Amino acid sequence: MREYKLVVLGSGGVGKSALTVQFVQGIFVEKYDPTIEDSYRKQVEVDGQQCMLEILDTAGTEQFTAMRDLYMKNGQGFLLVYSITAQSTFNDLQDLREQILRVKDTDEVPMILVGNKCDLEDERVVGKDQGAKLAQSWDCGFVETSAKAKINVNEIFFSLVRAINKKNPDTRGGKKSGKSKSSCTLL
Amino acid sequence: MTAIKHTLQKDLFQPNEERLVAFVHVTKAGKKKRSSFLCATLSVAEGMNQTMVYQVKKAEKGEVYKKKMTRYLRDLKVVDGKDARKETADFDLHFEKVYRWTASSIGERDNFIKYIWKLSQRYLDQKPEFLNVPKKLMEESKHVEKGHTSMEGMDVTGIAEDYQALTTKEEQDLDLLMSECQVAISNAEVFAEQLSKQLSVLDGANIHSIMGSEDQVLNLMRLLDDGIQQAEKIEEKLDSYNVILQVVKDQMEVMKDKDTLINISTKNHKKLLDELEHLVVSLDLDMKFQKALADGDLSSSRGILECTEAAKELEKSVSADIHPALRKMAAVDEQQKKFAKISSNFAKRLSHHLNNFFIHQGNELGETLSRHSGDLKLPQHNSIHRDLIPYAELMLWLKNADISNFNELSKVYTQSLSKLYVREVQDFFDCAKLHLAGKGDRSKLGSVGGSFTGSKLSGSSTSLNKYIEARGRSSSVQSIDSVSLSYSSNINVAARHLFDQVLEKVFSELEPVCLAEQDFCCRFFHLVSDLRKDSGQPQEVHDSDGEIWMPLNPKITVERQINEEVRNMLGALFPTLQADIDDFISFADKLDGFNSMYLLVKMSQHVINTQDAGSFLSKTFASSLVRIKRNFDSFIEMQIKAISETKVSKKSKCGIISFVHNFEDFANLAESIFKGSDRHTDLDKGYTKLVAAIFDNIERIAVDHPKTPKEVIRMENYHHMFSVLSTLKISSLEGDKKKAKHKYQDSLTFYTQDRLGRPLEKLHVFIEGVKGYLSQGVKPEDVGYQLAFSKQELRKVIKDYTGKDVKKSLEHMYKKVEKHLSEEENLLQVVWVSMQDEFIKQYNDYEELINRCYPDAKITLEFTINDVLDFFSDIARSH
Ligand SMILES: Nc1nc2c(ncn2[C@@H]2O[C@H](COP(=O)(O)OP(=O)(O)OP(=O)(O)O)[C@@H](O)[C@H]2O)c(=O)[nH]1
Ligand SMILES: [Mg+2]
Repeated sequence: MREYKLVVLGSGGVGKSALTVQFVQGIFVEKYDPTIEDSYRKQVEVDGQQCMLEILDTAGTEQFTAMRDLYMKNGQGFLLVYSITAQSTFNDLQDLREQILRVKDTDEVPMILVGNKCDLEDERVVGKDQGAKLAQSWDCGFVETSAKAKINVNEIFFSLVRAINKKNPDTRGGKKSGKSKSSCTLL
Repeated sequence: MTAIKHTLQKDLFQPNEERLVAFVHVTKAGKKKRSSFLCATLSVAEGMNQTMVYQVKKAEKGEVYKKKMTRYLRDLKVVDGKDARKETADFDLHFEKVYRWTASSIGERDNFIKYIWKLSQRYLDQKPEFLNVPKKLMEESKHVEKGHTSMEGMDVTGIAEDYQALTTKEEQDLDLLMSECQVAISNAEVFAEQLSKQLSVLDGANIHSIMGSEDQVLNLMRLLDDGIQQAEKIEEKLDSYNVILQVVKDQMEVMKDKDTLINISTKNHKKLLDELEHLVVSLDLDMKFQKALADGDLSSSRGILECTEAAKELEKSVSADIHPALRKMAAVDEQQKKFAKISSNFAKRLSHHLNNFFIHQGNELGETLSRHSGDLKLPQHNSIHRDLIPYAELMLWLKNADISNFNELSKVYTQSLSKLYVREVQDFFDCAKLHLAGKGDRSKLGSVGGSFTGSKLSGSSTSLNKYIEARGRSSSVQSIDSVSLSYSSNINVAARHLFDQVLEKVFSELEPVCLAEQDFCCRFFHLVSDLRKDSGQPQEVHDSDGEIWMPLNPKITVERQINEEVRNMLGALFPTLQADIDDFISFADKLDGFNSMYLLVKMSQHVINTQDAGSFLSKTFASSLVRIKRNFDSFIEMQIKAISETKVSKKSKCGIISFVHNFEDFANLAESIFKGSDRHTDLDKGYTKLVAAIFDNIERIAVDHPKTPKEVIRMENYHHMFSVLSTLKISSLEGDKKKAKHKYQDSLTFYTQDRLGRPLEKLHVFIEGVKGYLSQGVKPEDVGYQLAFSKQELRKVIKDYTGKDVKKSLEHMYKKVEKHLSEEENLLQVVWVSMQDEFIKQYNDYEELINRCYPDAKITLEFTINDVLDFFSDIARSH
């Protein structure tokens, strides 16, 4: 089974843990406990393929920024999460993306821009078009989610897996077919 | 005509608050075509008696009229009627030039002239001359008298054809006149004649008096001529004076010019002087300052003060506000070159001095320091800081005056001091490790690392030993006994207390030293003063999201950069701090997994609640905290792995499985460590995983065990878990507690029923058969007629179960149960009572069924309920 190392990044309190726990365990965490680092494993089926997701939920608070380089080096795909109720969390993502590109030393890193807490429409300060525009300039996927109302939670993880697949098609599958072919010719 | 008049009044004059008094339809004399109207108007605006004459023309198309010419009536000099006798429609109006008109009819002309005359009489001081105008047009209406109010004067402006009533006074006069001549009424003609006669008499008198006044007029004229002559003379005189004065005036003007010139030049002089003085003052550096800068003592505090003052003065002079033009002066240039030289010399001297000082400090302290050992202490550097702080202002000067030298100096500082810090920090942590491991009884400390597998069961020891070896400890000191010490034994409590103390000490030593150094660097290298200057207003960029927990307000980049500067400097000063802390963390973790819990609690206090999230120490600690969290997670994973690898002895009965047994101590210890910590959620997550693993593995072991029945293992272990969770009262495990209770109760019931199937087996089979018939729809009364279930058969079965037999089989069962159950959990009583209840329930069940199906047979069991109760209590008592 192919393994995917996904990293959830974003400022403190945007709902990274809430999204991850909602996805992995199907529950919404109401209480806010700043994360230090949590890792989860979950097996899912994406497009008929069994995948083992290894999800790293990271800390958003400033003290922990020194660890980011490491996360970025090890991760294969990234969820960049902001809260639609706080402009600053949206603004912080630009730096984050640039850091990812720098660490990965490539322009094509699978990532999804995630605007969380879309159930709080009354408190919205970041427009949906703003998110869409940013994602367009980054050439990546964009989804508004709510961990609370279970909106688009699975979608972001699935989209990220697909983005990774698109960039790095499963090499083992290719090998297999190659082998069977070669064995055929041998016969 | 009236229609036109109305239109004119409405369209042209009403808007200006004018009233059309008279108008005449005219053409320009000579030209027949293009007629227009001359209008005479009176302003009706309050307090205005403006009278105007307009020429109005009709527009080429439509019924629109336009004012073509506007003249004040007062500017009218002459009205020329052309001929007083001959009737003609021509007339001239002399304004600034002569306008010649031909009216459309004589009557109109006369009417117009009449009103012009009336208007001028009433409203003009300078009345126009009326030439060649028929006399009759220039008569006041009879009744108009002087002293009439202006209201009555308005009559003039009234429309000519208007009927005018006589006033009462006129009426009286008329009455009087008529009463004087009685003939009047009877003979109007005579009366009229009489009147005209009188009128001509009066006329004559009038002319006479006019002629009489001619002499007086002539006199008056003469007087006026005299007056004019006098005035001319005076004027001449005045002119001559004027000529004289003109000369004086010219001279005065020249003098005035001169005066302003003088003023300007003195002002300029003064300004020049000021400028020069300013220049001299600002470029003049007192000899005493020059001397201080050249060879003031940089090692005494007085010398430093003098140099500081001098440096400030020098800076003032160097940066003095001098006009660029003045800089071209040779003297200024020379002076500035001199300053530059003084400045660079002093910068060199200062750098040299401090350079030596730094290097010296780095080496010297390094030598004295290492003898510190024994105590867990990180040396303070207050004395260096105290010695250096007096130079702070000079450093600021240097930063402004010679940034490259300044940068060089800060590099030297970090290099030499970092050597010191690296050694100190390493020694410090070595010492801390020594305290943890070396001091005291190694074996005691070594035994700390417990895991769930460390039970008294010898079979489980191998995996544990491997696990401990993997953690890097000598296994020689390990004995099963030491491992079996529960988590809360006295020795462990002491060891953990020690760790807690060492940890506390590490933080209380490390933090002040780092903060003091940070503080010093900011002050000495002026990193924060910039910050204060530049970030006056960044604090409240807080968005209106109202999320108070939002720990990060976006900081303005300037602040970020400054922070970065401080952080980089400290990073250079403590290059190995991160590695040393991480090393200590993994050392502590290897020593005992619970140490990671202590570390998690302590470190997160420092990291999460920090005021200064971006500081070097916060970031270093935060990175370490992530490592600690990983160690904590893997500690939990390790426990889970140990649980799933646990094997129990197959020779004896199972009892409480070791990991179930140890969970209580584990949780108690963890709770004591996490008490009051806001990281309890991390522990909760660990608990949840552990308990899930425990439940899974209870099932695994229950199924496998050869000796003890599955239900007993489940019953006993879930019961244990339930009671442990009840006493722990961990809110996140409420659900698991309930689950344990259910599982326990289920297995108890199952076990009880399973065991009780036996004592009255034949009866049980018989009754089940009866029940089978009943459920097929056979009536209860008819059951007895079935061969296999006749009364006789029943009696036979019942006979087999005498009280004695029952007691014996119960006793046998008791022994069996006793063999299954462990003493430890002590559930025998519970099970026994449960069995008694179940047995009695069965008994009642049988009786009820027998009564129903064999109502008249009087069949009863050989023993009563009381017998049953006695059996149970007898058996329980005798064991
Ligand atoms: N209304 C609403 N609240 C949410 C949503 N997602 C998260 N929250 C709340 O926002 C708070 C913070 O959520 P977390 O998931 O802990 O935030 P985080 O991004 O993990 O924060 P750090 O771990 O500090 O980086 C919690 O109180 C959540 O209940 C959402 O979709 N809607
Ligand atoms: Mg989180």
